[in-house]
Amino acid sequence: MTQQQFTKAVGNANEINELLRRYGVKFGIYKNGVFNEQFFPFDPIPRVITHEDFQSIEKGLVQRVNALNEFLFDIYHDKKIVNDGVVPEDFIYISKGYLAQCEGITPKNNVYSHISGIDLVQAKDGEWYILEDNLRIPSGASYPLIARELTRIAAPQAFEENSVVDNRSYAKLLKETMEYANCGGIRAILTPGRYNAAYFEHSYLAEHTGSVLVQNDELFVEDNMLYHRTYSGGKTRIGVLYRRIADEYLDPLTFLPESLIGIPNLMEAYRSGNVGIINAPGNGVADDKGIYYFVPKMIKYYLEEEPILKNAPTYLPFYNNDMKYVTEHLDTLVIKDVAEAGGYGVVFGSDLTKEKLEEFRKTIIAEPRRFIAQEVIDFLDLPILDKGKTVMRKADLRAFILSGKETKVWASGLTRFSRNPDSFVVNSSQGGGFKDTWVLSR
Amino acid sequence: MKRINFYYSTKLTFDDYVHNHSFALRIIPPETPSQINISCALNINPFVSTQQTIDAFGNNVTSGYLREDHRFLDFEIKGTADIDHTKYRTDYMPCYLYQSEYTQPDSILKNFYDGIKGNCTGSASERAAYLSNVLSDTISYEKGSTDTKTTAAQAFMLKKGVCQDFSHILISLLRMDGIAARYIAGLAFCDGETHSWVEYWTGDHWEGIDPANNCPISDDYLVISQGRDFRDCAIDRGVMFGKYTKQLQLVRSVLS
Repeated sequence: MTQQQFTKAVGNANEINELLRRYGVKFGIYKNGVFNEQFFPFDPIPRVITHEDFQSIEKGLVQRVNALNEFLFDIYHDKKIVNDGVVPEDFIYISKGYLAQCEGITPKNNVYSHISGIDLVQAKDGEWYILEDNLRIPSGASYPLIARELTRIAAPQAFEENSVVDNRSYAKLLKETMEYANCGGIRAILTPGRYNAAYFEHSYLAEHTGSVLVQNDELFVEDNMLYHRTYSGGKTRIGVLYRRIADEYLDPLTFLPESLIGIPNLMEAYRSGNVGIINAPGNGVADDKGIYYFVPKMIKYYLEEEPILKNAPTYLPFYNNDMKYVTEHLDTLVIKDVAEAGGYGVVFGSDLTKEKLEEFRKTIIAEPRRFIAQEVIDFLDLPILDKGKTVMRKADLRAFILSGKETKVWASGLTRFSRNPDSFVVNSSQGGGFKDTWVLSR
Repeated sequence: MKRINFYYSTKLTFDDYVHNHSFALRIIPPETPSQINISCALNINPFVSTQQTIDAFGNNVTSGYLREDHRFLDFEIKGTADIDHTKYRTDYMPCYLYQSEYTQPDSILKNFYDGIKGNCTGSASERAAYLSNVLSDTISYEKGSTDTKTTAAQAFMLKKGVCQDFSHILISLLRMDGIAARYIAGLAFCDGETHSWVEYWTGDHWEGIDPANNCPISDDYLVISQGRDFRDCAIDRGVMFGKYTKQLQLVRSVLS
């Protein structure tokens, strides 16, 4: 990209942020029990991924997601990877994401993770590392979509003069993926409602994929089929449900009985193959932070291939050797609580006082299964615009991989950055912002 | 081998009309090597079409949806089964080795186990019998002291409970001891409601033990449902809409 185009896009930052505000591009967070909708700050300087870089990331992500899908099938059926001693049994059954109720269920075409959100970072030497896998309800695809749409309006020249792959393909990819999981009926997106952090995204994706946006009180299961109650009192069969509510709340007759946002007997219809659920319930066992350590081993085990993309160097205190290393190097490592998500439960050893370090060391020794430890990757800073000045901040990339008939990587993604110069945590719930991600077509 | 006749009914009565009532019943006894249904008839009133599925734990699930207003839902099951506990069941699942929602021990229950584990030795059967013995010396059977939401840790603190609580505590202890165990809901000769007991994995098959009566099970025990704990085994679960404030449930069971 030339300096000129860059400046053009930058010059329109305020205009685009104003358009985003007007479109209602927000995300909600609960803080101290109060629901607040926040504006998700957009930075107009796009992250640019070269054609060559994208090709290798793409191969690596397809490989990873294919292995994760094989793993999920295996865990809920024969458990070969456990029986062969590659993944210790404990890690499966202690994981909160493992749902015994899903044992033996085979989703249509064996696809468990239809939409995978894989978080990566690029190190200063150019190497990409996987930070985490999100195989339950990865959110965020709508932000780069709408940002691109608005940038296109505000700075059309930027796209005339650059060979950027059009990211509007996401809706088409998602529709194809939903159709591949469809068991006969209409497509629906289930939202918990307008007080959900990602409500904007639910309605945006429904609109762009031609799916019905529904809430649970419009749905019911009768004769083992999922139906949408129509205004006239009739019913329309739903063949595939892209649900944006957590597994535990999905069906009060199978999971949490107190769930008020679920659909009773949905799991019976699903088990019988009468409705597809995107993503499959029970996927949490594969994106557990403790299981992350084993993903490269899964790739070798199921695909008999060498992993193309690397994990960040990770230690499991569960293993004695790793425990020794972790307790000795706690001050330089980043420790993650496997039960937490959204940037919560992440502690940098370097931020802790001597007393706190000692306390934390004891906690890890007492509960080795609860934590993983990683080397801090010195990842690439990206330029962002801060009050008219360009400053450098840490950023990651959430890539979206859709698994239908084939596994495809969306040529875009959500780049999130930390607004705090000293922070490595980029999650939107931690006050970060986002950028569009440009993949160059040549 | 023993041929038994079984009858079980539940009457749900509401003090106002309810509608859009979804239910899932785990009421038809599973067919296993040790239990064969000779006949089995399920009646539901008011009439509603139902579907049959088999859940992850091997239970027969009967599901249905009553859209119209109604003030009661009755279901009864009548049948004959041949029971032979010498024919082993081998449907093992590794999740039975891990604590589940109702069996998760607190520090008190953990300490209790630590205090007795030295004496808990021998085969799985010997250890299960020992733990059941200790339990019957520690917990007293008392109707009404707990409810269906009481966990093993809560019942253990009270030092009293009913068959469900005895089962949950024993399962918790067995799992702490490294023995896979599962919860059984069923019918037995001892009382007029449903009963609950425990199965533990010997290493190659399941054996049943009745901790509330501190005895091994016999051919007088009919399994209706099984799972990690009560949550997986509830004989009826339902969700309904309406202005009702009270739901009355009458349960009756006969084994002959």
